[in-house]
Amino acid sequence: MSFIDDFLASWREYREPGYYDGFDYHWTMSVDLDRCTGCGACITACQAENNIPIVGEDAIARGREMQWIRIEKYWEGEFPDVKLRFIPMLCQHCDAAPCETVCPVSATYHNQDGLNAQVYNRCIGTRSCAVYCPYEVRYFNYNNHHWDAPLEQQLNPDVSVREKGVMEKCSFCIQRIRQAKDVAKDEGRRVQDGDVQPACVQTCPTEALVFGDQNDPDSRVSQTMNDERAYHVLEELNTAPSVVYLRKVETDAV
Amino acid sequence: MGVSLVPTLKLLRPTAMIVGTAFVGLLFGYWLNRTYVPGTEPVQPINFSHQIHAGLYQIDCLYCHSNARKSASAGVPSVNKCVGCHQLVVPDRPQIRLVMEYWENQEPIPWVKVHDLPDFVHFPHNRHVAAGLECQECHGPVETMDVVSRQAPVEMGLCLTCHKDHQVEFGLDCLTCHK
Repeated sequence: MSFIDDFLASWREYREPGYYDGFDYHWTMSVDLDRCTGCGACITACQAENNIPIVGEDAIARGREMQWIRIEKYWEGEFPDVKLRFIPMLCQHCDAAPCETVCPVSATYHNQDGLNAQVYNRCIGTRSCAVYCPYEVRYFNYNNHHWDAPLEQQLNPDVSVREKGVMEKCSFCIQRIRQAKDVAKDEGRRVQDGDVQPACVQTCPTEALVFGDQNDPDSRVSQTMNDERAYHVLEELNTAPSVVYLRKVETDAV
Repeated sequence: MGVSLVPTLKLLRPTAMIVGTAFVGLLFGYWLNRTYVPGTEPVQPINFSHQIHAGLYQIDCLYCHSNARKSASAGVPSVNKCVGCHQLVVPDRPQIRLVMEYWENQEPIPWVKVHDLPDFVHFPHNRHVAAGLECQECHGPVETMDVVSRQAPVEMGLCLTCHKDHQVEFGLDCLTCHK
């Protein structure tokens, strides 16, 4: 039984919140819902940066949409006292991610930077991760996609174009993180706050999205994390997400 | 008296299918072998000899492939760089005349990539040069090759073994190389 004990011990250690704080970086994003206007610029930026295909009307009608970040829309109250709420939803890069435990081929795993990694070459397309993800942010390639000329010219060479039969999701723009780390290594320093900006963060016109290293106490994101409005989506599931949301302030409730 | 071929053909059909499949398989295997197995020598548009340039005349790899120092792709030198020397050095040889033709037409030389990594692999040359790795560790003794052939098998094991041996920090993380 010692094998099982060992396994459970390492499992527990790995699932322990804060386990990933021991490493160099812990990439985190904060989303200020007070600032988000639901404009959808982040979706467009992500689409362009990460070679996300435009699946078309038919596929969307069949529930096969593809966008690594989406704006969820909620109506609150009855007419005429109706309010529209937006919440940008992207991969939460959970420290105790349910999707990682179910992958039969370890195509998705947690790396030392607190990123929930997806290795496309390894993925065999069981789609169990998408079933287990409580945030429903994993998207499956039901088809091979093509880009009409000249759109194939704008594909990002630093991101692979996914094939039919693999799962994909937000990577926190791993290519940009890698680039920033390269530069920092050349200059013999740590990656500083503001060096890395995923496409969605860079494009957000109201600066609702903030990205940074949670292990650096001075970074903008760690300061927003300590805000009293901060919360995690579906916190009760104990997934320990790396994306922090800041509650919208009710001005008329005062 | 007519003899019908049809029964014979029907009888031969399974055999023909097996032979056909085997033939297609062999062709595929030949292509696979040619493309991915070390020792492949693509035919280049110009008979450029690394043996002469890097071996005999001791030109540094990074003199021509200077992008290896600063970018992910090592790149091939521009025609500009070839002409820079060869305007003065042996400009009358037939192979150099070919280079000059490209230069005058203002066209790049369509070199064939020898070590072509798959598109999902992130291999930054600059990081590896900065780490002090010799080009020869992956590309083999290029300075002795008249025609450059592929030396490194394009396999994940090559990266992992080297990262393990050199104890690269987080070198075994998938996201280090996969993009």
